[in-house]
Parts: sequence; C-alpha cells; structure tokens
Amino acid sequence: MAGPKTTASSVSSSSSANALQTLWKAYNDTTSPRLKLVDTFLVFLMLSGVVQFVYCILVTNFPFNAFLAGFGSCVGQFVLTASLRTQVNPTNRSEFKDVSPERAFAEFALGSIVLHFFVYNFLG
Amino acid sequence: MGVLRCCLLALLAVHAAALTLQSPRVTVTGPDAAQLFSDSLSVDGPPPTLTLGPDDALKLTFQVVESEGGKGVQPHQAFLRFYDETTGEEGIQPVRVTPGGKAKFELNMSKPPASLPPSSTAPLKVSLLLGSFTHAPAKYTLFDLHVPPSQPAPAHPDEPSFHALPEIQHTFRPEPVLPPRPVSATFAGLVLAPWALLLGLWSQIGPRVPRLFSPHILPFVASLAAFEGLLFWYWVDLRLGEVLLYGGVLSLVTALTGKQALSTIGEWRTGKK
Repeated sequence: MAGPKTTASSVSSSSSANALQTLWKAYNDTTSPRLKLVDTFLVFLMLSGVVQFVYCILVTNFPFNAFLAGFGSCVGQFVLTASLRTQVNPTNRSEFKDVSPERAFAEFALGSIVLHFFVYNFLG
Repeated sequence: MGVLRCCLLALLAVHAAALTLQSPRVTVTGPDAAQLFSDSLSVDGPPPTLTLGPDDALKLTFQVVESEGGKGVQPHQAFLRFYDETTGEEGIQPVRVTPGGKAKFELNMSKPPASLPPSSTAPLKVSLLLGSFTHAPAKYTLFDLHVPPSQPAPAHPDEPSFHALPEIQHTFRPEPVLPPRPVSATFAGLVLAPWALLLGLWSQIGPRVPRLFSPHILPFVASLAAFEGLLFWYWVDLRLGEVLLYGGVLSLVTALTGKQALSTIGEWRTGKK
C-alpha cells in the first residue's frame, strides 16, 4: 500500500519541479531584458516591503511614520511599476491600443513623483 | 428732595425713641426647684457666664421700655439668639412680649427646645434682638451660657461637595524606546539586502541605455532627478509651501522636457519598426 503512494507523490513532486523548471526556462528565454529589468525591480520592492513588515511585526513599529513611509513607498511603487510593466509588455499590445509605452512611462513618472512626495511627507 | 427730607426726619424720629430693657433678671433653678443662681443683668457691662446642668431650668424676665419716659412697649419682633462662636451654629427663639412690654422666657434643659443649637464645650452667646416699626432696632448681649454638650451637628448633605477634590494624576503611556543596537543593525542589514540582490540581478541583465546622454533625453532625466532631489530637500529642510512652489516650477520644466524626450523616443520606436 505504501509503495504506490510514495511513487505517486514522488512522480507528482518531480512533475511539479519540471513544471517550475519549464516555467523558469520559458521566462528566461522569452522575456525581453527590459522587462527583466522591471521584474527584478518588482522583486526588490517586494522583498524590501516584506522585511520592513516583518520588522514592524517582530521588533517594534516605534517610528511609526517611518514605517508607514517605507512600507507605503514599497507597496505604492510596486503597484505603479506593475502597471507600467503591464502596459509596456509587447504581448499586451492588443489590450492597450491607445496607450503608447511613452505615455505609460510618463504616467509612471508622474505617479512616482506624487507617491514620493507623500512618502517624504510621512518620513518626518 | 421732599421725599428724602421726610425719610431723614422719620429716621431721626426713630433714633430719638430707642428701646431699652428694664430690670432684666435671670434665674437658674435645679431639678429640685432650688435656686442655684439669680441675678439682674446689666445691659452695658460684660456679660456674665452661666452654667446649666442637664436637669436645670433657666428663667429670663425683662421689660421692654422706651429709653425716654420708661413707658412699656411691645416690640413687633423679639428674638433670643443662641450662638456658638467656635462652630458657627446658632438658634433663634422667639420671645412672647405682652402689650405692656413684659416678657418671660424659660429654658428647661430636660426638655430643650428645638431652637437650641447643637452645643459643644464652648459657651453659647445669648443675645436679645428687638425689632419695631416705630423704634430703632436694638440688640443686647445678655450672658454666656454653658449647656451640656449635645450630639455633634449633622453634616449637610452637600457638605462633601465643598471640599477640594484630590489632585488629578495623569498617567502617560511610557515613551517608546528604540530596540537594542544589534537588533537594529541586523534589520538594517536585512533591509539593505534587497538592494544587493537588485544590483546583482541588474548587472547580470546588463541594461543598455545607449541614448541616455543624447540632448533629447538628458533634460528629462535631469528634471526627474531634480524632482527627487527637491523631495529629499523637503525631507531635510524645506517647508510645505516652498516645496509646492518649487515643485510647481519644476513640473512645468519636466512636462516640457518629458514631452520632448518621449516624443523623440516614440519617433525612434516607430521608425525602428
């Protein structure tokens, strides 16, 4: 009874590992360097926000305004960058026919400046 | 003027006819009707001090007369006032005066009247108050009276409200403290770690910015950098109004340079296609 179960689970784990490998390979091969650049920035923002949140939970939220500014800047910048990536992705061209990549970048820059204004306001 | 003069004349007339006491006499008798004390009171001299036991009785007789002529007068009001100077307690006892001006007051300590104030060891000052429509009012200090101490005066129900409340002690939340230095350092390192990851991955990807320093692009990038610098300056030094002013000016510049840069890039992109 134990044998088939273990084989089945090992097969499924190996297939899921295969799937992950395939996904990673496909991502590496098909994504343009510019989008990879944006993606690494997104990963950076996510990790940075997670670390700050963990610090707030585990240690202290004492300069609460600083926590708000840091965490809020991470979340806000992530949202802005994700929407930039969605709009400039060539495969989404059909979705955003009216939005040129330049306009998307201009909106990104404007949104970022407004976000940073609020962030520095909170920083105290 | 005429009314005032009439009033003044009336006042003078009233003052002219003052009330006085004739042959005031006080007698203290014991429980067995034995006379313990008996004396006539002098209105002007220092008041004598009398002592009443728990079963003694005091009898006060006097006649109210006009100071000129000695005719007996019935005042419209006659009161005996018992006043304890130490506690401020007082009692008022009306005295009945006959039309001839004669009055008799009896105080039996075995049945004390309700008007007798709560007493302590201090004597009660007894005085006589006379009021009349036709004569000047008069007040005579008769004697000091020691009576057996009574129960203490009951406190007024509102009495506790008239004391100072205890001082309010505010309790504040303790001042928040920074975590110990090693913990801060650890988490500072953790927060900086994603930067290393970002820079490492970017160096692997190797982004190329071949046209960054072209005269079309550079002003836009420079104005964006100026915006970030302005916001940093805001954090360090500036006030909100100044930031909004400078930012307004800078936003105009950025809009112009951005339009130029992005339209140039768009031409390059469509041309490349």
